[in-house]
Formats: sequence, C-alpha cells, structure tokens
Amino acid sequence: MSAFFLKERDLVAFLNKLAKTTRVVAPVAKRGRFVFAEIGSAAEVRLDYDVTILPPKKVFFPPAQRIVTFDAESVSDCIDPVETVLFGVHFYDVKGIDMTDLLFRERNADRDYLAQREATTIVASSVQSVSPRAFWGSIGSSVKPKGHDAFLTKVDGGYVLEIVTDKGTALFAKAGFREATSEEIAAAKRANADRMTECAETLPYDSDAVAAKVRDAFSDEALWDELSNDCFSCGSCNTVCPTCYCFDVRDAWNLDQTSGTRTRYWDACLTREFAAITQPGGHSENFRAHHSARFRHRFMRKAAYLNDKLGGPACTGCGRCSAACTADIADPVRVITAIMERAS
Amino acid sequence: MSTPAEVTAAAEHAAAERTGCTCDNSHESLFVPREAKILHTAQPTATEKHFTLQLADGEQLDFTPGQILEVGVMGFGEIPIGLASSPTRKYTFEIVVRSVGRVSTAINKQEVGDSLWIRGPLGHGFDMDALHGEDVLVVAGGIGLCPTRSLIQYIADRREDFGRFVLFYGARDPLQLLFPEDRAVWRASHGIEYHETVDRASVHWSGHVGNITTLFKTTSLTPETRVIICGPPVMFQFVLRELDSLGISRENIYVDLERRMKCGVGKCGHCQINDKYCCVDGPVFTFAEIQALEEAI
Repeated sequence: MSAFFLKERDLVAFLNKLAKTTRVVAPVAKRGRFVFAEIGSAAEVRLDYDVTILPPKKVFFPPAQRIVTFDAESVSDCIDPVETVLFGVHFYDVKGIDMTDLLFRERNADRDYLAQREATTIVASSVQSVSPRAFWGSIGSSVKPKGHDAFLTKVDGGYVLEIVTDKGTALFAKAGFREATSEEIAAAKRANADRMTECAETLPYDSDAVAAKVRDAFSDEALWDELSNDCFSCGSCNTVCPTCYCFDVRDAWNLDQTSGTRTRYWDACLTREFAAITQPGGHSENFRAHHSARFRHRFMRKAAYLNDKLGGPACTGCGRCSAACTADIADPVRVITAIMERAS
Repeated sequence: MSTPAEVTAAAEHAAAERTGCTCDNSHESLFVPREAKILHTAQPTATEKHFTLQLADGEQLDFTPGQILEVGVMGFGEIPIGLASSPTRKYTFEIVVRSVGRVSTAINKQEVGDSLWIRGPLGHGFDMDALHGEDVLVVAGGIGLCPTRSLIQYIADRREDFGRFVLFYGARDPLQLLFPEDRAVWRASHGIEYHETVDRASVHWSGHVGNITTLFKTTSLTPETRVIICGPPVMFQFVLRELDSLGISRENIYVDLERRMKCGVGKCGHCQINDKYCCVDGPVFTFAEIQALEEAI
C-alpha cells in the first residue's frame, strides 16, 4: 500500500481537475445540513461534515431506479453504469456500502446495483465532526470497512491519502502527490483512532450478545408494544438507513400508452402495507399487521438476522434513524439497551 | 479504529464463506421478464383463469413442482404464481390466476395469442428426492390445489417411483372446485386414492360434505407418510392436529407458503418470514422449518 501527503491546495486542484472529466459525488452543504451530491468544483465539497441526510447508497441504489423499459414489441434492461468517483465517504458509510454490496451480490447477483457499484471508485475520508446521535465508536467494531479504494485523513497541515486498491491507484496515478512520511501515516492512524471515542452515544454490548438477546426477546410482545408505542409507521428510519435495501416495484405507462417503464422504489418495512397481500373481495391479509410487529422485524433484521452474513450487526452507528424519527423511538442505542437490560 | 489497510483478503474470503457468495459474472438484469405465449385458457370459476403457456423463444421451462413464477403484463406489474403443471409435461406449462387485484385482473384479461411476461422458475419447490419411494398424502384446500397440481401430475406420470398416493381436496362449495377434467381422471385412476369434499353442499351435490379434516376418517395412513399441505392459513392448524394424532413427523410435512413477493430473487424484503425469504428459501418449507419461524403461520 502506498500513502501520499496532500496540502489543501493539492486536494482542491485535484478535485477541480477531476470534476471536469468525471462524475464526482461528494458531501456538500444543503440548508444547514449535508448531502451527497454531484459537484462541479472543489469549492462545494465539505469534508468537515458530520453526517449526510441520506447515505451514499443512493449512488448505486437510487430512490427510484428504472429496471425495465418496454414498448409494444420488446422488453429491455436499464443497466447503464456511469463512471463515478464517490468522494469523502465516512468509514461507517463505507461499512454500509460493504453490507449492501454483499446483500445485492449474494445468491442472485443484482446487476442493476452491481454495475454502478463496479463503475464507482470510492475515496473514504476521516470524520472531522461527530454528529450528535452517532454511536459508531461502539457498534460492530469487529466489522472493518473494506469497500473503499482510498482513504483520506485530515491531519495538521493537510491530508494523508492511503491507497487501498488498484482502482485507487488508477485514480491518483497522475496526481503527482508526494509520498507521506511514516510520521504522517502514524498521525493519520492516531487521528482516526482518537475520533472513535468521541461519539455522544455508546452501545456498550458485544454484537453476539446483542444478537442472542434480541432474538430471545422475539416473543416478548409487551416489550415490543412498549418500545414501538409511539411509532407512526412512517418508514423514515428505513429511508435514511445505509443498510436498508428493501424496495417496491411499480410499472408506469408513457403517454403513448404502449411503452413504459418498470421502476423499483425504496420501500420501508415499517410501513403498514409492506407485508400485506391482496385477497378476494378487496380484502387484504397483512402478515405484520401491527406496528409493533414491524418495529420488531426491523430490529431483528438489524441486530440478529443479518449478523451471521455480515459478521456483525446491519447497523453502522451513523445515528441517522435516531435523528430522523419523528417520535424519537428509533434510536438503536436506546432500543437495544432496553432489551439488554430487561430481566429475562 | 483499524485503518482500511488492515482489511485483509482473508476477511473478504470469510465474508464470501458466510454468504456462500461467489462472484457472478452475469451481466444480465434479474428483472427482465421472458415472453410466454398463451396457447389455451379456461375459466374454471368466476374469478380464476387457467392459462396454458409456452415460452416465445421456444425453450423449455425447466422447473421443480412447487416453484413459482413472477407473472405479469407490462405496464401493470407482476405477481408470484405457483406453477400448476408438472415439468414431466415438457412442452407447455400452466398457471391458474385468481383475480383479486390490479395485476391479477390485468393478467386474466389476456386471451389466447396474447403474451404474459414471466420470470423464473423461482424459489425452492418440493424435494422430489425426499419423496421418492415414499407414501405421499396431498392435502389441498381451495386454490391450494393449483401449485400442488404440479406435484400431483409429477407423481401420476412417474407413479412407479412413489408408494401409496392419497389426495385430499376441499373447497368452500361445489362451484369453487377446480380442474374438473383432472378430478375425473384422478377419481378413475387406480394409482391415486382421491377424496374430495365441500364445506357447504348445493342441491346437486351428492359427494362428501364437511371441512377437509373430515376426510381423514375415510382412510388410514401410516406414520411414515410424507404429507404436503397447501391451502388457506386457517386450514393448517386443523390438518396438523390430525397429522399429530397419526404420529406423522413434522420433518415429513411440507407446506407451500404464500407471501407478497415483489422481486422473487431474495432482495426486496417483502416476503421475509423472520430471517427467511419466502421467494428463495421457500415457498416450500418443511413444517419443522417453519415451526421455528414465529411469523410463518
């Protein structure tokens, strides 16, 4: 692995040049908060962001993604990847991407996701500002981020850029940065390690113990009723989550009424109709009719069901769900703590 | 925090082992359906339509009884439907669709010469190897006869590969009974012990009346019998009680579950039952498997 040292002006020059030829998606400010968006120049990029409203999964798995087009004669796929550099991704969001990579790849490989994923180079960046609801310092510490191609760490006087993959090497091959010294690399490592202790929220439980206890709590209906009592079934916690990937599929006609599209849309297991099927006579059967069953399903998925596949919980500790929940009941730290502290 | 560089190839290998993931070099979308031409239709009841289909590209559909298709009309969407014919009858395949919503109604408006768009076969069907050489009982309630018809035909076509074959079929009333021609064949067949019942008789009905569990009194079954149950969820607990009293092990009972399946390939999440996806881990499960899934029935 090689590592470089960049002064601020090196990074600005690099990004300005890159954005002229390649689609670059990076954190930018939006009405006092931050979002991942396509940039035109380095001036827009905010590497001092705390957390973005939506995770970067939207680059590979957009909120509305056409999967099929059709006309009177034929049906075709919509796989059309665009070479992209996803810049400035915090390590917890890299973990989220790793998880969705694996889930879209397992069993039936989803090219509608993977094609854009493969066409994307990810440059991760250190966390400079910690969001108030983050708890990434204490969850899934056994799960290491691995889906990035390079990692940029802010240190005194500039940045240390570590190259991780061939894609990362290719991206920076002609940048002409000077090699980082061993002191600078050590400073970057220290900066990232120090940051891990700065989250306001902490979940002081081992992932395996959480998985076992959450699973054991399945039948404790009083507990789930209590935890989900104020749930509006709005699905905001799902929408902002870096590891949620459920979707609905809907068709739409074009104006000609003979051609159209089939599109998948982000969906949310917290919403009322998610597991409902239509029955005769306009009735429906809902396999998770009560909001407590849906709330429980989300936590089972995050903390228990997916653990074996992912090597840890399907939660990155980003805190987006905690912040997005209108009723403020979605916070995994509070929910899991309540389960862990419940007398068995 | 570990640095990114500490992520090793071994970790990736471990993740691949956990998921059974091997790199798939396919460049095809999972979501592009294939065209199937409608060769024949029948309307067995007021709400059900029976389609005989053939792939437009001339290929044969290779499937196992119990597997499903995502079936659709472009512009309306697609829904999961169990295959109703046996793979032993190679050149065509059949489905029965009940009009209950927008997509199923659009499908049932299609006629001979039109096309349906299908993806599949999807999911796990019946474990035919496990049934090989065994006595088999099929308990089919209502529209549950459609996916089990695939298995019934399969056993009828390879009759010598199986032991005793008993079939229980129940419907709400005589007007809801499906597949009249098949039933006539089963009734006349020496290889099939066929019993049918309706919950409510009409004036012209001279057959058995009573719910499907009353058919257990009409024959005797050994504890080694393999049992397939497909029907409305309410039926399961009553049938299971009968099977328990016969001493039939839950490992030897297969159920075919129904869920909302938007993608059919284990991604969209709608059909999840605890940690199983009905579309890829099912829709056929052993009762022993789903007994452990609190959300299954």
